[in-house]
Amino acid sequence: MKREIYAYRCRRCGELHYPYRMVCRKCRENDHNEFDPEPLPREGILVTHTDLYALPAVFEIRKLGLGIVELSNGVRITGQLRVEEPKIGMKVRGEVEVVRSEMYSDYYGMVFYEA
Amino acid sequence: MREVYVAGIGITSFSRLEFPLSEIAAYPVMMAMKDSGLKDIEHLYVANMGGGRVNHQTGLASAVADTLSLTPSGAELIENGPASGGSAVKQGFMAVASGMHNVVAVTGAERMREVNNLEATDLVATLTHPIAEYIYGVTLPSLAGMFTRLYMDRYGVTDRHLAMVAVKNQRHALRNEFAHIQQEITVEGILDSPEAMTNNPYVAAPLRFFDCCPVSDGGAAVILTSREVAEATGRPLVRLSGVGQASDTHCVHEREDPTELLAVRRAAAGAMEMAGVEPSDVDVAELHDAFTILEIVESEEAGFFPKGEGHLALERGDTELGGRLPINVSGGLKGRGHPVGATGIAQVYEIAHQLRGEAGDRQVEGARVGFTCNFGGFGNNVVCMVLAGE
Ligand SMILES: [Zn+2]
Repeated sequence: MKREIYAYRCRRCGELHYPYRMVCRKCRENDHNEFDPEPLPREGILVTHTDLYALPAVFEIRKLGLGIVELSNGVRITGQLRVEEPKIGMKVRGEVEVVRSEMYSDYYGMVFYEA
Repeated sequence: MREVYVAGIGITSFSRLEFPLSEIAAYPVMMAMKDSGLKDIEHLYVANMGGGRVNHQTGLASAVADTLSLTPSGAELIENGPASGGSAVKQGFMAVASGMHNVVAVTGAERMREVNNLEATDLVATLTHPIAEYIYGVTLPSLAGMFTRLYMDRYGVTDRHLAMVAVKNQRHALRNEFAHIQQEITVEGILDSPEAMTNNPYVAAPLRFFDCCPVSDGGAAVILTSREVAEATGRPLVRLSGVGQASDTHCVHEREDPTELLAVRRAAAGAMEMAGVEPSDVDVAELHDAFTILEIVESEEAGFFPKGEGHLALERGDTELGGRLPINVSGGLKGRGHPVGATGIAQVYEIAHQLRGEAGDRQVEGARVGFTCNFGGFGNNVVCMVLAGE
């Protein structure tokens, strides 16, 4: 099964949210279960990025690329970035992969590559 | 609402402190009681973020009340991330303004150096969104790094401007005996010298080591009272004349324009409106420079300089001691240090100290109106205050 990350569309006004929130940010009229999940698109534009060198202890690497990406449907997401020379405005493509491994669990999230 | 006054102030050294957390919180209250001559504290507010997790101490407010022998006065712990101190001052303000109490003590303390830097950074990283930020390895420095890159791209801020903030605030800290960092640095030394890549490495590019505040232990306290009580102390009168607070989205990526710090703008406007002052009336400000970029951007969002021009004010020397609007003459978080729960109260301490005219060789001459900005999360919860000397 293909892993997906979901955005949540308000059934009352159509506003799309990522991540999930209980009450719609735009209309504030909905109940918590009045959202339809939609898989996030994978294509997007890099909004900003960093190389993090002071890493949380579970990451056994020297540096970690992180970025904020605006996806083709206008939703923004924070994810890991595996691009040699990242530039603001470049096209990127996301894959859902393990982004953090702890003793008893793996966490999946969006990892972006040059498109 | 009744008028509220800062009648007493106290602080510890900010550095590594080998005392129990409860004593780091209690000591500045004792000093503030001596400063004001007030002994009958009706209620105690304690700001702290990491006690339960880092120091294995919960229920800190009760411990502090007892060690100060304030029992049976009521006591509460306030946790609001890095804005815990500002939030606690706000609670004390409301207690006196409402008429519920006449004399309250507000203290903030942190003892983060009991653990290593990575654990301290991880404690603060738990402020981020658990599934949309934290799992990726997002920390506060990484959010600040991404924010800085965007700001550089849009407004022409450079790494030299960032270094100028660090140089200025560490220079100011040399005049503050309680400051954590007592080291003069230069832009050339941390950016251009052959040693720069080793003494000032990237932490979260484009942010470097000297763009980030240190991890500190420390405490700060104020005693807030009604006007009647403050007048009876015989100390110079400093009124807490405005308080503003605002929140923003948990995830930074959800902000419509991610170069804006809307919670700062709204909290600052709220505090100034309550106090009846304009940004141009402010003579001295303490801003939350956990990262150098934040001092520049907060100075814009508070209305001191136009958006995108805070770095130009820095170039002109406006924000230095002796300039048009000195910012962080205490050293700020960068120089004084950042014991998380204490920071918002240390800012109020500094402004009260300045407005009393007792700040010695870091005194801003003729300061009548002061401003503080205590920044929680990555700007998702901000408390601002205005103080006025009378
Ligand atoms: Zn809606």
